[in-house]
Amino acid sequence: MSSQTAELAGRGLRVIEPKLIPPRVHAGTLRRERLLRLLGDHPGTSLTMLNAGVGYGKTTLVRSWCVERPEAVIWFSLDAADDDPVRLWTHVATAVERLGQGRGRAALVALGTRGAPIETAIDELMNGLVAYGRAVSIVLDDLHAVSSATALGSVAHAIERLPANVRLLATTRSDPAIGTARLRARRALTEIRAHELAFTVEETHELLAQERISLSPDNVALLADRTEGWPAGLYLAALWLREHPNPDDGVRAFAGTARHVGDYLTDEVLAALAPDIRQFLIGTSVLGRFTPALCDAVLGRENSTRLLAELARSNMFLVALDSQGEWYRYHHLFGEVLQLDLEPEVARELRRRAAEWCRAEGLVEDAIEYAAAAEDAELVAALLAESYMSFFWGARFDQLVRWVRWLPAELLIANPTLPAVAATAGLVTRRPEVEVQRLLAVANRSRRERPEAWSPDAEAMVELTRSEVFAGDIGAAIEHGRRAVAAASAGSGLLTVGSLVGLAQALFFAGELDEMRQISLAAVQRPDAPEFPNGYLLHLGLLAMVDAEQGRLETAQSWAREALNFARARYLADTWLAAAAHLGVAMVHAATGHLDEAERQAERGELLRRAPQPTVGHTHALLVLAQVRIKRSRLARATNDLEHARRALSEFPDPGRLPALRDAVEQQLATIRSGSAPRDPIEEPSPAELAVLRALATGLSRRQIGAELYISLNTVKTHTRELYRKLGATSRADAIARADALGLLDEAQSPG
Amino acid sequence: MLSSRMSGENYRLVVKGELGPRYASAFKDMTISAHNGVTEITGEIIDPCHLQGLIERVASLGLTLRSVTPIEAE
Repeated sequence: MSSQTAELAGRGLRVIEPKLIPPRVHAGTLRRERLLRLLGDHPGTSLTMLNAGVGYGKTTLVRSWCVERPEAVIWFSLDAADDDPVRLWTHVATAVERLGQGRGRAALVALGTRGAPIETAIDELMNGLVAYGRAVSIVLDDLHAVSSATALGSVAHAIERLPANVRLLATTRSDPAIGTARLRARRALTEIRAHELAFTVEETHELLAQERISLSPDNVALLADRTEGWPAGLYLAALWLREHPNPDDGVRAFAGTARHVGDYLTDEVLAALAPDIRQFLIGTSVLGRFTPALCDAVLGRENSTRLLAELARSNMFLVALDSQGEWYRYHHLFGEVLQLDLEPEVARELRRRAAEWCRAEGLVEDAIEYAAAAEDAELVAALLAESYMSFFWGARFDQLVRWVRWLPAELLIANPTLPAVAATAGLVTRRPEVEVQRLLAVANRSRRERPEAWSPDAEAMVELTRSEVFAGDIGAAIEHGRRAVAAASAGSGLLTVGSLVGLAQALFFAGELDEMRQISLAAVQRPDAPEFPNGYLLHLGLLAMVDAEQGRLETAQSWAREALNFARARYLADTWLAAAAHLGVAMVHAATGHLDEAERQAERGELLRRAPQPTVGHTHALLVLAQVRIKRSRLARATNDLEHARRALSEFPDPGRLPALRDAVEQQLATIRSGSAPRDPIEEPSPAELAVLRALATGLSRRQIGAELYISLNTVKTHTRELYRKLGATSRADAIARADALGLLDEAQSPG
Repeated sequence: MLSSRMSGENYRLVVKGELGPRYASAFKDMTISAHNGVTEITGEIIDPCHLQGLIERVASLGLTLRSVTPIEAE
């Protein structure tokens, strides 16, 4: 995807660290020996699934089980946004990568390559786990949070490919559509459902004993019966009875009502609390993840640190997310029920305050979630307008589009940058063109109806988006690119580097290399350039390519090196943004005779530029690759590359200088071929000679060939002499070229 | 989902256990009535997504759903 607007797009997918950290297990949690044994070792099980409603202790159980395992455990807490399988598996692959020895690398590359199917990435991940060799358990917590067919399909695919040393566990509230019926039939599924997770009477005894609550045996049975063993209910009951003057009376009264267990016990527990603590709990229930500072800000207090530490110690409905006592959350059920006691207006105000605190802390997406929950569309619009760039850098395009679509039309017209930005994001994520055009139409409406709201930034975005629509028409792309640059320079400055790279790319493909070089040189020398990592990286790559093409090999090399170092530091090295740098390196190596490395780098560049549809950028990569392969006498493959390039070019309305480049490369190919005319050899080479021939093509010395083929050096020399004679060749390169043209090398060349 | 003939239909959801007044705000625009060990949640359902949302809300509040029944218009 080599488009003017896509320079803003990256696959710099940030991993959200708290999702990879397992929640801490509270000291007061009962150790459930019976269930831990159930979870134990299960040969032949691909998936262990804990399937029960909220409050059954699934997460707690799996978490305690993990702590006691000798093998590595990968924990991943899912939420609704993991419906995007790339996000889901990027987190898992990152965790695998942290096991060491680069086991997640290949998967992360595949995940960062636009157009690569998710199954490829998962296969690479499984390969990495096989190579890791030692036992690993992977826990997917809250699998019910995802519902998209693509995400669930990817999980099903992973289960099918799971290696023997890997165990997959999942907690969920509903049966996920991942082929469980098939797994059950094959006895590859271990299930633990509500009736097993419920506390037995014995376990109820144990819990009460642990909490030092004394009840008559009859009342213990009564409590177990009344709660039906629902763990959340029992832990609430324990909290309540701990402070109760006469637990036996309390239980009898409780059992005598027909009230819902959770409702009754929540009432009792809250009533027994000091009013200050009660207010604190109810007020903070609107928060998802929170720190003491956030609580203080939302409630106008100063004592949250102390309160939270106390609450964390005394009950398990407050979950500590890290070991420093910074981040907490409430147990899902507890948080939901507490919120019911809030007046809607109060809840809105609290959420607004939370949004403002997150905004000040730079937690943009959390701020927007709170603002939206507070139904404050103006605040959401303001937050988006000031932070849309971070959505691009974090590759959070779907979220951006989702939020913009949530806003009412009047706010979009008053903030035209938003529909313009969403149109760009929509293009990057390949939303239907109708949707993109609709967003552009809203932007245009703004220009007509609210000219005072129309900003140069909005203009720049619209022009960038339009040039993307003309991606295969370099002439039009240049025109829109120039307009985008002019508009961007009159605006906030946030879009300057990006719009410059759009123009530079178009100029490169048009062959206007001098102007392109000037632009990119000025762009990278701007002090703020590195703050726009995607654009910066693309400029560096373009400079590497143009200098290599024009023979300035040393500067080309240094541009490429800077680009790749920068990319690595920002986790962008395996994305299409680094492709140009690889191609530049390839061109330098080709010019200095390091053909092996040249081909490797060119292959990398071509791979990173692949996309579901043909693009000008990918076609250019094919041509660079073909050139290198011709130098290496890999003529069959070069021909293949050129064929793909030819087909792609026929679809573009105006592909700039690429057709001329293709013609030049085809000419090179023809020249080499005619020099080694594919006339039949005098005699057919023998199988032994063919073996030597193929070994020659891989660049081994004759001594090495002898070692490889278990023949003496003299034998190698004899075979080589015969080969030259039979092929009419005068040198190794000549022999290889003629043999390639005759197709004699084809079977030996293994794919990849 | 076909053209929603569900719009304007009334439904009754029954959950186990009698719910106190705090749950009124959990099911906006619905009537809550608790008796005989169960709670009835009654009201107008706009479309199938609305009904699905209610069922999920019931689950996330730790309630046990007993039945979901359309009510004939009087």
